[in-house]
Order: sequence, then C-alpha cells, then structure tokens
Amino acid sequence: MRVSVFLFIILLTALFGGCTGDSTQGPDVGDFDRQAILTNWADNIIIPAFTEFELKSSNLTEAAIDFDQSPNEARLDTLQSAWKDAYLAFQQVSMFETGPAMTLRYRTQLNTYPTDTTEIKANIENGDVNLALPSLVNSQGFPALDFLLFGTGSSNNEVLAFYTTNANAQKNRAYLIALTQRIEDLTEAVLGQWTDTYRDEFVANDGNGANASIDLMVNDYIFYFEKYLRAGKIGIPAGVFSGSALPSHVEAKYNGEIALELFNEALDASQNFFNGTHFQSNTSGLSLADYLDYLNTMKEGTDLTALINNQFETIRAQASTLNSDFAQQIASNNTEMLQTYDVLQRNVVFLKVDMLQALNINVDYVDADGD
Amino acid sequence: MKRLPLLATLTFALIIFSNCDISDSSSSIETPEIYEFTRNGESTVSFSGQTTRLKMATELVQSIHDFDNSTSELLLQMFRNEGLNGEDVAPFNNEELNTSSKSIKSKVAASRDYFSAKTAVSAEIRSDFESWLTQVVEEVYPNKNTLAEPGVSGQIADGNSVRYVNAQGFEYDQLVTKGLIGALMVDQMLNNYLSTSILDEGTNREDNDSEVLVEGKNYTTMEHKWDEAYGYLFGNSANPESPMATLGSDDVFLNKYFGRLDNDPDFEGIAQEVFDAFALGRAAIVAGDYELRNEQAAIIRSHISTVIGVRAVYYLNAGKEGLSNSSPDYGAIFHDLSEGYGFIYSLMFVRNPRSNEQVFTKAEIDSLLANLTQGDGLWEVSPATLDDMISNISAKFDFNLEHAINSN
Repeated sequence: MRVSVFLFIILLTALFGGCTGDSTQGPDVGDFDRQAILTNWADNIIIPAFTEFELKSSNLTEAAIDFDQSPNEARLDTLQSAWKDAYLAFQQVSMFETGPAMTLRYRTQLNTYPTDTTEIKANIENGDVNLALPSLVNSQGFPALDFLLFGTGSSNNEVLAFYTTNANAQKNRAYLIALTQRIEDLTEAVLGQWTDTYRDEFVANDGNGANASIDLMVNDYIFYFEKYLRAGKIGIPAGVFSGSALPSHVEAKYNGEIALELFNEALDASQNFFNGTHFQSNTSGLSLADYLDYLNTMKEGTDLTALINNQFETIRAQASTLNSDFAQQIASNNTEMLQTYDVLQRNVVFLKVDMLQALNINVDYVDADGD
Repeated sequence: MKRLPLLATLTFALIIFSNCDISDSSSSIETPEIYEFTRNGESTVSFSGQTTRLKMATELVQSIHDFDNSTSELLLQMFRNEGLNGEDVAPFNNEELNTSSKSIKSKVAASRDYFSAKTAVSAEIRSDFESWLTQVVEEVYPNKNTLAEPGVSGQIADGNSVRYVNAQGFEYDQLVTKGLIGALMVDQMLNNYLSTSILDEGTNREDNDSEVLVEGKNYTTMEHKWDEAYGYLFGNSANPESPMATLGSDDVFLNKYFGRLDNDPDFEGIAQEVFDAFALGRAAIVAGDYELRNEQAAIIRSHISTVIGVRAVYYLNAGKEGLSNSSPDYGAIFHDLSEGYGFIYSLMFVRNPRSNEQVFTKAEIDSLLANLTQGDGLWEVSPATLDDMISNISAKFDFNLEHAINSN
C-alpha cells in the first residue's frame, strides 16, 4: 500500500469526519471494549479456522503422498476429495490476510487464478523449482491443483493416465506433492505465528488508529469482501471490469461444479465474521455488528447492522439461483452473475462507507496503479 | 484547503509576471488554447526528433527485463542506436526507429547550458546509464529465478508484482527510466531548447523578426527550438496540439509524472500552467516579444524542476514509511527507493529559476546517492538517512514538504 496515498486519505477522512463528528450524539467509538472483539476474533474465529484448515491441508498432502505410492483410481478420488475439502476450508481463512499471512503473502500463493498451465508444465519439467519465488504464484496453490487433478484429462481415467502411463508420470506426481506440501507449510507457519506470539500482540493492540488491530483487520476484511469475494469470484469472470465475460477466470475452472459451493462458503465466513459467530458453531461473541449496535448506527432511519445482515441474505438468495458451475452460468445467462455482483456491491458500500464512518476507521488501501 | 498556499504562491507569481507583460505593452498577445501555429496555411510546428527519442526510450526500458530476448549488447545498441564500433544496427521493434539517425545517448547530458563545457561530466553520466544496462544483464539475469537477499541479486515480491533487484536491492530499469527523465527530457528542455543560448543563438532573433525560414522548412529556427522543448513533454501525446486530455498516459517519462503531480490536489493546475506557458511563449516568438517568451520559459523551468524535486522527496518518504512498519515489505520499499534513486539522479538537471543556476552538481548528487549504496545498500538503509536526504533536497526547493510526501 502506498503510504502517502494512505496519509492523504486519512487527511480527507479527517476533514469529513470533522464535519459529521460535531453533530454526532450518544456513545463514543472510543468507549467500546475493542479488546473483547479482538479476543473473540482471535480465539473463536481466526485460530480455530486456521486450525481446521491446517488439518485439511495436512490431509491433502497425505492423500498426495498416498497417491504417489499407489497411483490408482480410488486414491485419485480420495485426493480429489481432499483437495475439495481443503479448498472449502480455505474459504474460511482467506479473508484473514493480516499479520503473519500478510508477511508470507499467503493468499496470493494459495489461490491465484487463473492458473498458468504453461508455467506448471515448465516447473514439472524443471523438477526442482523454488515455489517461494514470487514469479511462481501462478503455478501453485489450489488453482494449479485444480488443473492437475481435473484438467489433465476429460475423465478420471485420463487424469489417472497423466500420473501412471504418461512419460512424465513420476514428475507429475512429484509436483502434486510439492504443491500440497507448500500449502501445508505456509499454513503451519501462519497458524504457528498466531499461536506463538501474534495472538497476544493482536489482542493487546486494542487502540484505535491506522495501526491498531481493529483498523487493520477491518480493512483486510473489507478488502477481501470487495476484491476477492465480489470481484474475484463473481465480477471479473462476469466481465464487470473487462466489458466482456471471462469464463476462464472462474475459481475452480477445471472442477467447475464446485464454484458456487466455494462462493457460499466464503459468503458464510464473511457474514459470520461480521456477526462474531464462533467458528463452526451457533454461538456468537462480540464483533462489528455489536460495535455498530452499541453506537446505535442508523442509515436513513434503519439500523445499519440489520441492513448489512439483510443484504447478506439478499446475496445468498440471489446466489442460490446460480448454476453450481459459474462458467456454465456465464454461458447460459450472465445477467444472473451481474445481478449477484450488484447485490454484493451494495454490501461493499454499507461496509466500506457506512460502517467505517460509524466506527471512525479509515480505508487504508486504494486501487494500485501498477507502475 | 490544503492546496491554497501553493496555488496562492503560483497565482501571485503569475500576477507579478502578467504585470510585467502589461508594463511591456505586450498584453495584446493572448494565450492560445491549443498548440497550433501556421504560416501560409501550413503548420510551423515540428518536434519529430523528440517523438523519436521518446519512442526509443520507451522500447529500451521495456526491454530491460525481457530476460528471454535481451542481451547487454542489444540494450546498449538501443541506447546508442549504433553498434560498439559505430556500425549500423537495428535493435528496435519499430523499424522507423532503426532507420533513424537519432539516438538516446547523443542527447543524454547534452544541453548547451550544462554540458557544452563539461564533456567529461557528460561522459560520466552516459557511462552511468551504460553501466546500468550492462549490469542488469550480468547481475540480475543469471539470478532471475533466485530469491533476493542481502548481497544476492534476484526476485522479490511487491504485492502481486515481482521486482528484480541487484545485490543491493536496486531495480536497474527504474534507475534508467527515472534517470532519463532528467538526463534526456529535462536537460534538453530546460537547459538547451528553452535557453537563450539556443533560442537567440547567432542571427536567430533577426531571422525570426523577418521570418527567415530554415531552408526547406516552414519555421524559423527559434520557433523550431521552442517546439523541440515542447516535444520532450508532449511529443508522444495522442493529440499533441491539445495534449492535456491524455496527460500522464502518453509516456512513462516526464509526461507520466507530470500528470501524476497534476492529479494531486496540492499541485492541481500546474500542468495547464506549463501548457499555457508553452503556448504563450510560442505565440510570443511569432510576435517577436522575447521578454514575454523568456517569462514563459521561466515558468516552465520552475514547474518542471518542481516535478522532479517532489517525486524525489515523495519516493524517499515512501521508503522511509515502509521501513517503519513492524514487518517491512522490502519489495515495495526497494521499488520506491529505486524510483527515488532515479529521480534524485535527475535532480542534477533541474534549475533554480531565480538564480538560473544548477541546483545540484553531479558530484553533489553522487555523494547524496552514496547514502543509499553503502554495504548491502537498500537492505540496510536507515529511516534517519532517508530523512536527512529528504531535508537536503527539499531545502533547495520552495514546495511544501507535506504536499510533496502526500502526493500520489
């Protein structure tokens, strides 16, 4: 992020904030127990979600190793299922690109799509590539595995041949292991840092201001919602940013039938985070919804928390009309995709404009200009 | 609100200038809205040589990290548009550039005012560029699949971008690109074509007064010199007569960063003022009003110099802020400081509009930049060092430091 732009935004927001602040009556943002929110996030959502995902990614590595030892159809099935389970579990942690995950560039390495099949083949040919190289983010992670497990043949028999009778079969299997191991290693590193030291640091940093945990996490959360959920999963493939649709840019392009499932999982995770719902539980702790309620935040006469939760429901309802395979949905009726984008966009406004204004948090990112 | 002081200053300066105009009874010359000048129904404007060099420089910087196709020999050929022994070469994709007799190198550090009596310094500067173009191939290419670390060249992530850096963390393409802004565009514009030593050379004034045209051309020498200055800023514009609409996207050199500064509310309007000064100065030449012409040259010199100063300070500050993070993003920091290095390098070509003097000599710039190249270079530079450099640079300029570091 460009710090100067960031400062400029602070300045702007400070000016605007100054205008509205005078007329605000009632509870003050500073009085809310922010540490309780941070504790709930860390202990009941973030660490449990990473713990679950670490387990799934470890299962995935194991399945790849088993498959390498006996590459048969049953083990291919198991490996494919393990990939899907892990990919779904990843949707629960993808938004937490803060602290250790940010330093490690975690999400970029796990889920950059569309994947580069030419680069994948070159890596396999080279045999010994360093997956830590920033130039190789397009040939690893879940999207690369998607290609390797579903895109290397038109049936599972053909896919199996890629790992058995293909001239490169052994190298192909070795690359599967390398990719699954990389996901597991990175996840272990992120979770390890959270449980070692970062959890306490995160919770202790309970002030307000650009470098406070709550400001950073809320920004990362909204950035995720805007760029990855709204744009990455829906907007970009639907052609919102390019004019014409880009069906090749869907998540899980090769195993297309799980695209909607991945989307729904990510949507649930986003809403649960907003409400402070504990990971895989119906219990709720403190979160943004409570913070807004405490401040009695209204937008045009309606409670903002309710508006945001209603909008989550609207998104869910709209998404339920979509084909489970987004590429097919784009081909048959892209309007439904565009309408899904539109209802997501409404929540971007509620979260990024209305919520942040109420919480007195400044946006710390802008669209990069790519120079 | 924040932009008032600068605009006020500029406005004030302009009021002073325009008062001068009035006292000279030359107020009848209006500022043309577009850069279009004709004689006998034909255009008198020409800056094709500048356009050619902008295109050459564009291809050169695009090729620096083209690992698959570039060699140091090719990069040097693009810089020189000739071979090591002066033979004819064809290094560019654009065939017109290959057949051109022009080159980037011949106009690097080649202005009348700064380098006509300093050919040794000029040679040093050209050699800096050639070293960067050679070193990138020798140091960075072999390590393109290595992770960079202190003392080791290679790649490093900057968000979703990959940066290729030398062992000290510098991106050579940024040094070349940002360095050329000063060494080619600014030097030629401010210190050559807008200089009275060029505009009024020989019989230029008499020729211009009596419309003696260059043989085979439709312009006087003075008109042409002025247009050549214009060409280094707007020569690659989609619509060079009315270039403001695409300002910032016509090249990756001066036009780009001039547009960047103009988009900042603190500096908004600076580009229109420069365009107006170019247009009015050209109209003044047609009218034979050389005092008015010189006043416009002074405005251009001042504003263009400001752009370079602001960008140098801006990138240094961006690097400093990056280092203050608990987990510094070195890829982003190195990118900012590599751009900063190039803009600082470019500072030796700007001028102080009041004293008409060079702001920094090559020796001063070299010692300033030495702060960034100690030991492991950018891997170990301290925020305090960057702060000192910022103070050192901004002390020579009138712009507001906060405005500079808040720009985008």
